[in-house]
Amino acid sequence: MHASSESADRAAGGAADSAPGGAADSAPGGIAERTITLAGDLHARPAGALSVAAAKFTSSVRLTAGGREADAKSVLAVMQLGAAAGTPVTVSASGPDASGAVDAILAALAAATRTGES
Amino acid sequence: MAATVGIVLVSHSAALASGTAELAGQVGGGAVTIAAAGGTDDGRLGTSAAKVESAVRAASAGSGVVIVPDLGSSVLTVRALLADGDLDDVPGGIQLADAPFVEGAVAAVVTAAAGGSLKDVLDAAQEARNARKL
Repeated sequence: MHASSESADRAAGGAADSAPGGAADSAPGGIAERTITLAGDLHARPAGALSVAAAKFTSSVRLTAGGREADAKSVLAVMQLGAAAGTPVTVSASGPDASGAVDAILAALAAATRTGES
Repeated sequence: MAATVGIVLVSHSAALASGTAELAGQVGGGAVTIAAAGGTDDGRLGTSAAKVESAVRAASAGSGVVIVPDLGSSVLTVRALLADGDLDDVPGGIQLADAPFVEGAVAAVVTAAAGGSLKDVLDAAQEARNARKL
């Protein structure tokens, strides 16, 4: 449940943050990335649930879908992805709690889109 | 855990304020107090300092309040009210957001729901100026 991959860093914003808290950048930090296929459209309520979940982590978290990318902590950016059911969405996180962030976002994404809420 | 930042939506229209509060509340998952201050005291289109004041009191939970106005003249009402000083005792302080109404409200509520500070919530609302829909 923790597919860490050092995939090509596609962060557009130059995430050159120094590791907060002085945590040696070994242990749980780093980069995590996983992809799921959306069970339902990424409408306003699922986007809200996802952004609330993402904001609880220190790591930067990005979503990529259909060639677009969004900061998962920005609900408006997530909605602007316009991701529909069946679209693969890649969640990538970078920072001290990257692995936990990806797990939490995927869980939120799965739960929120499964219900078919709009 | 500290209380969440409260959100006040000030609109010329009571329906617009309450509808936006409903929408933002749903997107935010219901964890934030959102108070609507729409229309005049006698139910016409316009803004009411008394409504804004009671909405700020209702939204305040100890961590501050962000006010999102719909159009420029809402800002006049809010600024005049804040200048009176009657709300200076609101814990955590009050910030007026320069933001689009619906997008700003949604971004503010989601950030407040995640436990963001007064500054985080204000910044999220104001960053909504840069959000595109298409």
